[in-house]
Amino acid sequence: MNDSNFPIISGDQLINRRDMISLGARGMGALGLASLLSPEILQGAMSPGEYTDRFGILEKPHFKPKAKRIIYLFFSGGPSHIDMFDYKPSLRKIHGMELPDSIRNGQRLTGMTSGQKSFPCVAPMFNFKKYGQMGTYVNSDLLPHTASMVDELSIIKTVNTEAINHDPAITFINTGTQQLGHPSLGAWLSYGLGSPNRNLPGYIVMISKGRGQSQALYSRLWGSGFLPSKYQGVKFRSSGEPVLFLTDPAGINKSSRRAMLDAAAEINRARFAEMGDPEIETRIAQYEMAFRMQTSVPDLTDVADEPESITKMYGPDAKKPGTFAYNCVLARRMAERGVPFIQLFHRGWDQHGNLPNLISKQCQDIDQPATALVKDLKLKGMLDDTLVICGGEFGRTIYSQGALTEKNHGRDHHGRCFSMWMAGGGIKKGYEHGETDDFSYNIVRDGVHIRDLNATILHLLGIDHEKFTYKYQGLDQRLTGVEPAHIVNPILA
Amino acid sequence: MNFGAIYKFRGKATSKNPFWAPVVFLLMVTIFPSTGYSESTAGISFNDQIRPILSDHCIQCHGPDNKSRKGDLRLDEREGLFGSPGGEEGVIIPGQANKSEFIARIFHEDPDEIMPPPETKKPLSRAQKALLMEWVNSGANFEDHWSFVSPQRPTIPMGIGATSNFLKNPIDHFVAAKLISLGLEPSEEADRRTLIRRVYFDLTGLPPTKGAIERFVNDSGENAYERLVDELLSSERFGERMTLAWMDAARYGDSSVFHDDGVRFMWPWRDWVIKSYNNNKPFDEFTIEQLAGDLIPGATVDQQVASGFNRNHGTTDEGGAIDEEYRVEYNVDRVKTTSNVWLGLSMECGQCHDHKYDPISQKEYYQFYAYFNRSRDRGMQTRNGNSPPLVQIFTPSQKDQLAATRTKLSQAEKDLKEKQPGLEVIKGWASNALQGPPKEVPVMGKWHLLGSFKANNINQGFNKNFGPEKEKEINLSKKHGGKSWTEKPGYKDNTVIDLGLTDNSVVYLYKKLESKSEAKWTASLGSDDAIKVFLNGKEVFKKNTSRGVAPDQDKAIITLKKGANHLVLKIVNGGGGSGYFFDLRDSEFTADLLAILQKKQDEWTKEQTDKISKYYLDNVWEEGKELKNLIAKLKNDEKSINDSVVTSMVMGDQEKPRMTYILERGHYASPRKDEAIQPNVPSFLPDLPKDAPQNRLGLARWIMDEKNPLTARVTVNRYWMMFYGDGLVSTEGDFGTRGAPPVNQELLDWLAVEFVESGWNIKHIIRLMLTSGAYRQTSRVSEKRLAIDPNNRYQSRGPRFRLQGEFIRDNALALSGMLNDKIGGPSVKPYQPPRIWNEVSLNGGLFYKRDDGEKLYRRTMYTYWKRSAPNPSMVAFDAPTREKCVIQRQRTNTPLQALVTMNDVTFVEASRVWAQNIITAHPDASFEDRLNQAFIEATSRPADKIRTRLLKALYQSQKEHFTRNPELAKSLAESGEYTVAEGLDKAELAAWTMVTSTILNLDEVLTRD
Repeated sequence: MNDSNFPIISGDQLINRRDMISLGARGMGALGLASLLSPEILQGAMSPGEYTDRFGILEKPHFKPKAKRIIYLFFSGGPSHIDMFDYKPSLRKIHGMELPDSIRNGQRLTGMTSGQKSFPCVAPMFNFKKYGQMGTYVNSDLLPHTASMVDELSIIKTVNTEAINHDPAITFINTGTQQLGHPSLGAWLSYGLGSPNRNLPGYIVMISKGRGQSQALYSRLWGSGFLPSKYQGVKFRSSGEPVLFLTDPAGINKSSRRAMLDAAAEINRARFAEMGDPEIETRIAQYEMAFRMQTSVPDLTDVADEPESITKMYGPDAKKPGTFAYNCVLARRMAERGVPFIQLFHRGWDQHGNLPNLISKQCQDIDQPATALVKDLKLKGMLDDTLVICGGEFGRTIYSQGALTEKNHGRDHHGRCFSMWMAGGGIKKGYEHGETDDFSYNIVRDGVHIRDLNATILHLLGIDHEKFTYKYQGLDQRLTGVEPAHIVNPILA
Repeated sequence: MNFGAIYKFRGKATSKNPFWAPVVFLLMVTIFPSTGYSESTAGISFNDQIRPILSDHCIQCHGPDNKSRKGDLRLDEREGLFGSPGGEEGVIIPGQANKSEFIARIFHEDPDEIMPPPETKKPLSRAQKALLMEWVNSGANFEDHWSFVSPQRPTIPMGIGATSNFLKNPIDHFVAAKLISLGLEPSEEADRRTLIRRVYFDLTGLPPTKGAIERFVNDSGENAYERLVDELLSSERFGERMTLAWMDAARYGDSSVFHDDGVRFMWPWRDWVIKSYNNNKPFDEFTIEQLAGDLIPGATVDQQVASGFNRNHGTTDEGGAIDEEYRVEYNVDRVKTTSNVWLGLSMECGQCHDHKYDPISQKEYYQFYAYFNRSRDRGMQTRNGNSPPLVQIFTPSQKDQLAATRTKLSQAEKDLKEKQPGLEVIKGWASNALQGPPKEVPVMGKWHLLGSFKANNINQGFNKNFGPEKEKEINLSKKHGGKSWTEKPGYKDNTVIDLGLTDNSVVYLYKKLESKSEAKWTASLGSDDAIKVFLNGKEVFKKNTSRGVAPDQDKAIITLKKGANHLVLKIVNGGGGSGYFFDLRDSEFTADLLAILQKKQDEWTKEQTDKISKYYLDNVWEEGKELKNLIAKLKNDEKSINDSVVTSMVMGDQEKPRMTYILERGHYASPRKDEAIQPNVPSFLPDLPKDAPQNRLGLARWIMDEKNPLTARVTVNRYWMMFYGDGLVSTEGDFGTRGAPPVNQELLDWLAVEFVESGWNIKHIIRLMLTSGAYRQTSRVSEKRLAIDPNNRYQSRGPRFRLQGEFIRDNALALSGMLNDKIGGPSVKPYQPPRIWNEVSLNGGLFYKRDDGEKLYRRTMYTYWKRSAPNPSMVAFDAPTREKCVIQRQRTNTPLQALVTMNDVTFVEASRVWAQNIITAHPDASFEDRLNQAFIEATSRPADKIRTRLLKALYQSQKEHFTRNPELAKSLAESGEYTVAEGLDKAELAAWTMVTSTILNLDEVLTRD
């Protein structure tokens, strides 16, 4: 028995169905978890295994959550914070100037620019204007829509990471460490909080292609690491069947499928009577859920029933599968159906050269849809309990990679500071957090490490990141790792 | 007692250790079951009950980690808890909780005094506090952590009251003793149909054939089951099955993991593992060769290949990566994998700080790391193939070809030297070299330039005709691509002309030559970069090259006709500078040579003589030219044989070992250079063997030293997990102080000692497990058993679990008759939905190119394993990505799995082909007879009444449905690539396909009972 208010949940306390059944036979008291007293289980409406899948291992949050679900817009490749959000007029003064050693401060550079002889600073080749009540600078050429909603956002300008290359950085921000083998943020949440919709996965991932250099993605970014594999993100696909193997093969129609499932279920029930293994009952339930998914998923991905007024908000690509805009529409539909964690990967932000041109195209693809998503959620009354997060694995250097010409330049990777925004459930509206130096190179105050960011995300979902652990290799593993992590209180509403 | 047939040891084990022969065994047996392992007299076990509490709540601040230790108090050691004679006082006075500081602090009410402090968020529960108090009051017994003490062979419990039918070998005595202590009895033995399917999957990963089932069921001879186990242990399928499990631990993949996750070729290593298991290579050799095969004196190619175990980790090719960061990362991975797999330790904590729970200091971590830190491989590796060090693996025919080529090559080189003409011959030639009719110099026009033209790249520019190339006469007023010829009076011959071209561009140069007679001339050329020469519309010279321009880089012989000749040069610039050189020479000789030849031969200096000789040998000596061509060809052959030879990545140490230092916080760029770290092993474990070399070979021998308390236990536990579903220690990769205690330590230790004393005989120990009564129990479970032993941790019944994903696919392929049983070789690419790779690959450019034909039906262990986007059907069934070592696979039960076995073309095709075979193999049989055949193949059992009724109803309804919908029938009956049998009624085949697909989706088929 654990008599503290909120049990520390660890892997060895993970209740599986067999334990549940055995406890059922021995008497409910033995485990002392409230889930066993759930009316659904007592009435036999839900098996204990299904119950855990639905409500997660935490069974109830550590404290009252501010958000019930997350939509995470992940921009892969390293979007330039300098050209999007972390602007200051002083940048104009340093344009063309050599990056002072006092600013670089011995900072390690990637192998791509460490041999460069000159490091000329580059001010954005775009116009910026002040928006919203706080007078927040936003790139008015590239992000006019985003600019129109700054009063909904908390923009964090001081996110930082140790990693300076794509693979380690993208692994770090998605799994809390650059070491491989750890669960993704979404897998942690599925494990902890379950999935209220019995007909859809609890963690869905969608990918859209950008127009610039696309860095590789890896299934580990939405993988389950050392957690059971059922918590990994299910990738929805932009063409063909939305979920792999969802569609019945050619020649098998719904009636054949139903007939087959009925026969299989009855034989499985006979097998259960013969063997007594509760796993057989679970299998029967999983086949039924597969069948329900065959209906619920196409219903989810068919955007034909979206009113014109809504799809218009998301822009011209809203009905074009595979685009970021389309994925944003789907994200909202998933949120409506109770999917707790939805992650969009939009690729193509790695602008080592030709940045002004490439970032313009990238922003064109995301500006309107991302804004529409926030506004649409608000229209439907869901923004209050939906947390929207937007950002990439790192930012970009103030100095030019390659030659700086009048109209062109590149930027290398930069992990010391970069910008992300959050909106919705539990987030302060119209707020800018943290400050970087005159070169948008170092943090001056209020740095937010990835650990802090993840601790804050968990906090918003009612989870104490220090208590949310899983025992693996003898250690109480947690998303935020062993270094201290801090909730970013100022961005909370 | 019935021990069955004793397994015949192979190799060294036979002679060395016929150890557990019954006679020896009986001597060890005592009359009464032994206790004394985990139960203390007071009824509270330190290792089982107290250590876990201390470990979870106290040890982080009062444990081995020097830096984070509070109050200089250690609660993981006897001295810290109880004090030492003459030293510090302890915090516990055994028998007196009320006088023990430890108890006072955990019950304290002041938040500043209570332990653990509230800010650690690890409060003790009331029950835990009560247990600790009771433990202190009852004498506070203390035990060393069980797994750090070498196992002793426990006495086999006798007279335990279990039925003698159950007691097949010593394993059963231990199991029965445990069960009886829990108030349970072993379950009855499973029937033969269940047993044969169970043991087939466990030892081969494939279902038994119908013939094998009937043979076994009707085998009335003695020890039929034991003979079956022996047969399967000798099957080559055994090696494949064991290798598949080892591939998870060894993090095997066909791609490089980081960044681009490009292709690599490590399948020779996989082949080595299969062969080793099949030859029953003793586990000590199996280990030593994989950890240090490259360092074994006179290492064979096989032993080097084996050492590739520690090259299976991920490697990077990312442009911006810092070499040292990744080089360190690789060695960190090797420490983690090696310590996890063989020692069941999570040493990785020591990378950044002293281990908080197990007695491994940061320095000891780096001593272990130092064994690997001497390897030669670099941090930055390739995205395309294998990175050095590697070993070439020649086939016999490649070996022969190479030897033959080399023989020919050395003969040709010898000939070239020996047949070389003497100086007299050369001088003889030289005295006549300038003979011949004098030629009149042609009248040359001015150079004209056309262009430049833009090319996509140098090759395209070189190959594409931008206009004038085929023109016999050049018309200077004709435009090409909108461009005109312009005169270039400044372009002089016999000098380098700069053309100032942009990257990837092409120009043409033209001049007219009027010749009085037909005559041969030599054009001496130079170019930056590629060049072509056309004379009167005919290409007379070409060279596609990237270079800077210089005089006399090439020579072209041009034959001028009488009258006007049109000469065109084409210069292609790939990048950087650009230019050309042209000079018309009346002979083949350069001015330099000409001057020598015009001198008297007896005035030649040594240097001049050499120049003439060289010219003669290179250009005039016909046989020499042929020999040189032959040599070039043979060298080329040698290279292409070498290139076609398979390689495998291996370990290799530097000649002068790199120094190792502790890395501050584990960071590659922060070595603490004040102290050089020498390779060594953790001090809480036994010392290195005396004669062990100070390198990986020494480490490997230490791991396999019989005094090592961990290796044998960890290994037999892993085998136990394979056949019983879970290990006796349920944290198979963690035998440290935070790992789960063994459910039956006597059994684990007995097996461990048996394993060592059998000469690390893998087949012997597996045979023991599989011929035990415990393994042979039925997996049927009653409510009572489920209540007391819910997860079957105590083996109160036979193990029942879902087949692993690879076996599920192999089963479908085997039942359908499509399985291609080739063993080993490169990985293959079976069906996979589109866009799995390019959706995530670098710039989306990488497409999965599916194989065709029989490669579609290889065993699943050979499926190409791209670790950033592995085969999705297998991932649905819990296959790990294998980016990191995985000791214990998850076993989940999800709707996505149902979708795979219902809809993945692999399974649909298998259902269809299986159905086809059932119909054609039993042409006149009734539905019931056909179903029975199918059911026996799938489950070993005939279909009973319920199943027959349900499947017949399904068949009939589907037959009717498909008869009404012939187009649906046709689609289903032709799914997949496999040949469609002719002459079958499509509705019949489709209806049967529904039946076979249903069977493939049954729990009893997905599960091994």
